[in-house]
Amino acid sequence: MEKKGIPYEGIIHSDYKKKSLLKLNVFLALFLVPIILTILTGYFELNQAPPMREEGLVELSNLSGEDRLWLLIFALLCIVVVPYSVVSIIYYSYLSAFVRNFTYTISEDHIIVELGVFSKTKVTIPYTRIQSINVVSGFFDRLFKTYTIKVATRFQTLGRIPGLKEPQIIEEKINAMVRKYSQIPGGLDENIFKPEDLAFDNFISYILSKMREGESLKTNVKELREKKNITSAELAEKVGVPIHTIYYLEEGKYNPSLTLAYKIAVALDCKIEDLFQLSS
Amino acid sequence: MVRALLIKFQKKLVSRIRELREEKKFSQLELAKLLGVTRQTVYYLETGKYNPSLTTSFKVSHIFEKPIEEIFYFEPIIKEAIGNKKLEELEEIAKNVGVPFEKLLTLRKMNDDDLLKRFNQSDLVKISDALGLKFEDLFKVE
Repeated sequence: MEKKGIPYEGIIHSDYKKKSLLKLNVFLALFLVPIILTILTGYFELNQAPPMREEGLVELSNLSGEDRLWLLIFALLCIVVVPYSVVSIIYYSYLSAFVRNFTYTISEDHIIVELGVFSKTKVTIPYTRIQSINVVSGFFDRLFKTYTIKVATRFQTLGRIPGLKEPQIIEEKINAMVRKYSQIPGGLDENIFKPEDLAFDNFISYILSKMREGESLKTNVKELREKKNITSAELAEKVGVPIHTIYYLEEGKYNPSLTLAYKIAVALDCKIEDLFQLSS
Repeated sequence: MVRALLIKFQKKLVSRIRELREEKKFSQLELAKLLGVTRQTVYYLETGKYNPSLTTSFKVSHIFEKPIEEIFYFEPIIKEAIGNKKLEELEEIAKNVGVPFEKLLTLRKMNDDDLLKRFNQSDLVKISDALGLKFEDLFKVE
């Protein structure tokens, strides 16, 4: 059965490149700005200071003003401009290749993410493992309006898709598939797909809730019954249960089903919430 | 003391949990955790196959901020039985049983008190047969 829009294939947006490049620039600036300042400071000090006595610097201070300027430019080129350009170009080519090679597919049973510039990786994530879908937008992301979708179990990220412009579309598609898998009737899905620790957790919480149930219900059945001048026996007959069920109920030792609670409410002409309260 | 025979509708428990859950955009697993039950239980609760305990019902009522009666209620089984039939089939049934078509349709929304005022037992038996069900499936005698 082919669902409309599934499988859905996508690529990431080139704004991801711009964002990453900007991030690199800011990062490099943290290094390069102090270096530039140092070089400039050195240059201005050379211009003003009296002749120095230390070895290498004596020769420097003997240079003419014009030569010093050329030295400055040379220093800036070698130490700042060229390395920066080289790094930027290499990084940008890497980013282009990365974006070109990144594809994701939302298919019937899994999400498949393929990426890699030098070594190729293919990540296959079955919907049954997905417990949360997070949409993240970092500081630089927000400047370019790109988002990253992270798909995770409770403790561990399973996969990431960065550089998305309209994450809500993909988020909804993934959500729909995950929901579809969470609706498989108990017998099948709990035996095959459920990781063992989760099944155990559920089992324990079920037992605990059963144990706790009897204790946490407060009941006014007896008072309301006596107000209406009905005996326990009469109520039992009206409602269609043995009389000790009514006794247990009134003592608060018995957690009735919804049907029984309704019947009692009808018999005593009041609302369920008047008869029973959850105490917590 | 002789009591007159009372005929009432057989009812089944209907739950609006799925509708309310999807409105609030919970998954079945999230709701199950909130209620302290398994996901399977939530599934059975939503399809009405399961008669919930009162504590669970209270918790559901608390989560969706509605009284229990608005989330779980009893609906006559005949409502679905008639609702599933096409109009032509219902006209056929009305003719065979000897009951006006509009009167047959009123069975969908009727309450217990009006039932005996408007129908007698033999009509109801014939209607049950025509719908392909037993009288005891749709009605109870007290």
